[in-house]
Amino acid sequence: MPRYRFNIYNGTGLTEDDEGRELAGDDAIREEALKGIRSILGEDIMSGVLDLGGRIEILDEAGGLYLTVPFTEAVTVIGASTEG
Amino acid sequence: MIDVYLLKLRARDTVSAAEEEAIRSLFSEIKEIGTDKTLVRAGERLNISLLLLDGLACRFKDLRDGSRQISELHVPGDFADLHGFTLKRLDHSVMTLTHCRIAVAPHERIKTVTADHPHLARLFWLTTNIDAAIHREWVLSLGRRNAQSRIAHLFCELQARLAIVGLADETGYELRLTQTDLAECMGLTPVHVNRTLRDLRELGLVEFRNRRVTILDLAGLQRAAEFDPGYLNLTAEPR
Repeated sequence: MPRYRFNIYNGTGLTEDDEGRELAGDDAIREEALKGIRSILGEDIMSGVLDLGGRIEILDEAGGLYLTVPFTEAVTVIGASTEG
Repeated sequence: MIDVYLLKLRARDTVSAAEEEAIRSLFSEIKEIGTDKTLVRAGERLNISLLLLDGLACRFKDLRDGSRQISELHVPGDFADLHGFTLKRLDHSVMTLTHCRIAVAPHERIKTVTADHPHLARLFWLTTNIDAAIHREWVLSLGRRNAQSRIAHLFCELQARLAIVGLADETGYELRLTQTDLAECMGLTPVHVNRTLRDLRELGLVEFRNRRVTILDLAGLQRAAEFDPGYLNLTAEPR
């Protein structure tokens, strides 16, 4: 199975994934990123601050950009205020 | 061969020469097993228990969608399923996380040794009690600690447990686990684990890279984790 790396960009900068994971198929790769984002956001919420400004860049085995998943794609926000 | 087990027991009590001989008589064979292999399947009838001599293994339970929760990591010197001797069937499975070397103890032999050596029976009981204490500490982590202190606590626990068998010092230890393994221990995802490891590194506490835990500040790491090794029962006293 091909190996993909999940680099995280958010408020504190870049967190590189130097290990990666073997995954098969677009759905599984995307799901891995979405679950990771939801896990991070879940903890953010416990601290009272939700930063949806991040993204995950998924790199393929050759180091090329395979897919970008913005944090906003991982959640549907209902009833948020319209400020800003 | 089983010296790691003697180290683990002698950290908690004295073991006489006769008892040591009895422990050595427990094991019928030594096996080498590859990575990610099931050692014990939940629900199967058991007539042997397995002592881990080398490598890492774990106890786990899983859900139908494949998500897995590891409930304890096993390090060399752990009698991974000694509780199977009395339970006969486990409510969880046991699998290898790295290449492992294990010693096999037939339950018939455990029965004989515990009948002949009541003190050893108490030491075996003690070690299963310590496993239960480790589970309670993990429940606290999974239920109440945030990702940072959860991982910090696991690294502290492994440092203490590996140090007993000579596999860790205050500067760190080899840990041949993946981010996925850590995520399955900590109720997180690999991406979240990676993000949290970065936080711990930037705080100057600990680094996990290339299968090695490098402890940058042991006291600081223990503080961040609220780690108190009391639950590991690390003092030698008559049991």
